[in-house]
Amino acid sequence: MPIKTARPIRRDSTWLAYLLLAPALGLLAATLVVPILSAINISVHDIRVIGSDGPFAGADNYLRVLADPVFWRALRTSVIWVVSNSVVQTALALAAALVLNQTFPGVRIARVWIILTWIIPTVVVVIIWRWLLSPSGGMINPLLIQLGMIDRPMGFFASGPLAMTSLVLVNSWRWFPFVAIMLLAALQRIPSDVYEAAAVDGANAFRRFTHITWPLIQPTMLVLGVMGTLLSFNVFDIIWLLTAGGPAEATQTLPVLIFQTAFKAYRMGDAAAMSVIASLLMIGLALVLLNTLAPKEAAR
Amino acid sequence: MKRGALGGLFLLLGLAGLAILVLLPMWLVASSSFKLPREIINRVPTYFPKSFTLQHYAKLLQTSDFPVYFLNSVLVSAISAFVTIVLATLAGYAFFRLVFPGRDFLYRLVMVAYAFPSIVILIPIYLMFAKVGLIDTRTALVIVNVTFALPFSIWMMRTFFASLPRELEEAASIDGASLLQTAVYVLIPLLSPGIASIAIFAFVSSWTEYMFASVLLLSDAKRTLPVGLAGIIGQYQIDWGLLLAGASLSVVPVVLFFAFVGRWFVSGLTEGAVK
Repeated sequence: MPIKTARPIRRDSTWLAYLLLAPALGLLAATLVVPILSAINISVHDIRVIGSDGPFAGADNYLRVLADPVFWRALRTSVIWVVSNSVVQTALALAAALVLNQTFPGVRIARVWIILTWIIPTVVVVIIWRWLLSPSGGMINPLLIQLGMIDRPMGFFASGPLAMTSLVLVNSWRWFPFVAIMLLAALQRIPSDVYEAAAVDGANAFRRFTHITWPLIQPTMLVLGVMGTLLSFNVFDIIWLLTAGGPAEATQTLPVLIFQTAFKAYRMGDAAAMSVIASLLMIGLALVLLNTLAPKEAAR
Repeated sequence: MKRGALGGLFLLLGLAGLAILVLLPMWLVASSSFKLPREIINRVPTYFPKSFTLQHYAKLLQTSDFPVYFLNSVLVSAISAFVTIVLATLAGYAFFRLVFPGRDFLYRLVMVAYAFPSIVILIPIYLMFAKVGLIDTRTALVIVNVTFALPFSIWMMRTFFASLPRELEEAASIDGASLLQTAVYVLIPLLSPGIASIAIFAFVSSWTEYMFASVLLLSDAKRTLPVGLAGIIGQYQIDWGLLLAGASLSVVPVVLFFAFVGRWFVSGLTEGAVK
């Protein structure tokens, strides 16, 4: 037994390990750690001209941001955005994963190509849906008119709540296959004899789902939920290219507001302060979710 | 498990729903890019084209800067993918094959990198790159793309290293192979599914990246596809034929790439997810 565990590790392995890690860790230090520290530094300075450091401003930027109703509105919009995306994506992904977990001709191809919407560039996603949803020349409006659901073409990005709904659906369309693949992996870990035993005991499909499938995929759902929260909070390009935060700032999430503050209004200090607050919120949220929701035995 | 008639019906409905959801929008875009402008904006949409023209593609390739954007994207994405592969494989070997002080700590640190919103990095990176003269260079984009692809790639490498028996390396070293020889003749060939997965992940994420490219690149000649196409969306009064052709062409490289190594990518994704 000791021979098995005490592998013959090369004597110089510590040096070798650091040598092999140096390029990757060096890059990440320069492009993630330094910028994060630098963001904190920028957030306490009053930077007006790019390239100059600006005078030290202490907590001024933070106080200004926290007193600004625009910030709080964007935070609220972000919460709505993250929650609705999680709900829609999880529902779609679970349905897709349950379908793909069956056996049917072509299932192997379907399990790979389901992810198609995730590998195409977001700008293409934007073009596809801007066109399909367009009131003039799009495909969705005529379809809804034919089905008798609406009388005349509607602007899917024209009013606040409608624009938000459209954005959530478009973003979920892009992301649900990714979540579905992960859930499918969890589903495939469930041994089929568990289901067979349950079926023999007279459990119908619904009860098999609620009593076997659901509890067993919970840990994966939790990890995906946390990952999904962080990823959807970060989404910028789809919102920016479809609505630019409009109409009337109804879809202005925090990343959109930070981008506008930094690169349209050139208030780098305020933008950095907002981004530091956003990071703290995200990390805090991830920790809380992982600690409170995790079933005790699932904590690795 | 046997399926009843009802189960079969549900499965069929589910599959049809999925196919419509994922494939129909793609089909509509691709097929419409060959329609005459008249047919594209027709009040009664056609699900199968009645006209055929290459005029949108001709316009895209001859009068717009699309070919330049396309080449820039190929260049940036290919180099980003290559650098990511090298860094992730080296780091993967250290993390998953060697024992050294601080291993768990460093690994966790790399994974935590994903919790930070990318917008946080955008402002300082922009200011840093402005200081060292990297603004408006494609190198800047490669650096950023590798940074964002690296943690996930290292995480994916875990699965692939775990599936390789250590005995192979040990056998090679007993036979007198140096570490480098072992790497070149034993490890790299056996890790090729993992390397392919990383390649596609890094390539696709670079191919898609919009936010940093829109801020770090200034001149039209250096723009990548996402920024270039976004410019075309706003530039003309919307020419749908041109945009649909551009969208279709932008999908081709990733789809081709995925056709060859997509299987490994999906297995890398799923096997890592449940461990």
